Amino acid sequence: MRALVVFCHPCEESYNAAIGSAVLHALERAGHDVQYVDLYKEEFDPVMGAHERRLYHEPGKNEDPIRDQVAQILWSEMLVFVYPTWWYGLPAMLKGWLDRVWVPHVTFEMPDENQPMRSKMQHIKKIAVVTTCGATWWLSKLVGEPGKKTIIRGIRLLCAKNCRTMYLALYKMDTCSSQQRQQYLEKVERKLAKF
Amino acid sequence: MRVLVIFAHPVESSFQAALHLKVVETLIRAGHKVDDLDLYAEDFDPLLSSEERSNYHNLEADRSAVRPYIDRLTAAEALVLIYPVWNYGFPAILKGFFDRVFLPGVSFEMQDGKVSPSLQNISKLVAVTTYGGTWWRAFLAGDPPRKLIMRFLRAITRPGQGCLYLAHYDMNRSTTRSRETFLDQVAKEMEQF
Repeated sequence: MRALVVFCHPCEESYNAAIGSAVLHALERAGHDVQYVDLYKEEFDPVMGAHERRLYHEPGKNEDPIRDQVAQILWSEMLVFVYPTWWYGLPAMLKGWLDRVWVPHVTFEMPDENQPMRSKMQHIKKIAVVTTCGATWWLSKLVGEPGKKTIIRGIRLLCAKNCRTMYLALYKMDTCSSQQRQQYLEKVERKLAKF
Repeated sequence: MRVLVIFAHPVESSFQAALHLKVVETLIRAGHKVDDLDLYAEDFDPLLSSEERSNYHNLEADRSAVRPYIDRLTAAEALVLIYPVWNYGFPAILKGFFDRVFLPGVSFEMQDGKVSPSLQNISKLVAVTTYGGTWWRAFLAGDPPRKLIMRFLRAITRPGQGCLYLAHYDMNRSTTRSRETFLDQVAKEMEQF
């Protein structure tokens, strides 16, 4: 499968970077065709400016500022997101990638009087999220996991009807042991290889 | 009350801008002291940098880059957030405000891995927002931005004087009338703030 890995963490030496490597390794070993996007490294600009917002609903024109990224999501059959959960949500960088790249007419058609919104990313059949949370599992559930829902529900609504999803999270990131972190890396590699 | 208004939309002629104007004007007229933080106009950088991330838990670290925002947040008695929902979440510029400014020692204290909230200065919380899609669609997705306000933000502040979520759904099919009704509703809430 053609897999697009979207990686988001500012620090090269971070644990998330190790997760990114494990994901890449697992997908390549499983024979997938992988594109790896490191948003911080590529210095992606997450802020949708006024000009871009004004053209947001214009077919074609709204793709101009982000043509390369649009080509990547049109190419992919599987999306894998690797990021730290900050304040129960996506880092601003990753949120901005969704804001700017997942534009109307490419990823969905706007609703009108006669019909609701229609999704256009039918070629995406799998979505995986691999993340780390400072909070506990319990607290994350209590808050309602906004970051998870943005992708696993929100973005999934724009993809294939039977799109499969997988959500992996390491909780209590700031206090867990190095053994737990190592085990999580192994789990990520095992799960992604089979996904 | 000292109200910090945080606004996150880039286009001056947008309906969001009209909501922003209405909120600020009405609050001032009602006698409140408004600190108007327009994230786009102030060119706020939402990216937590590598250095900031490395020093995130270090309370002694140099925080001069975000110090003015920390001061504005800790001086507020009430918070009004005005933003459009994009892709089932806050616009990046607003999410980044949380990432960069809601630091240990500012919005929470961390001791032995246990977190306790510290934005106790904020006793009222209001969100004024617009959704492109329907209420039903947002509900199906679990309405992440509503949860961020009504659960997370509510938990780390002390909104004894109320927590309010004002939303106009289905903006893509909104009418002049639905928008005016919403503006009126927002104005009314601001008058009674």
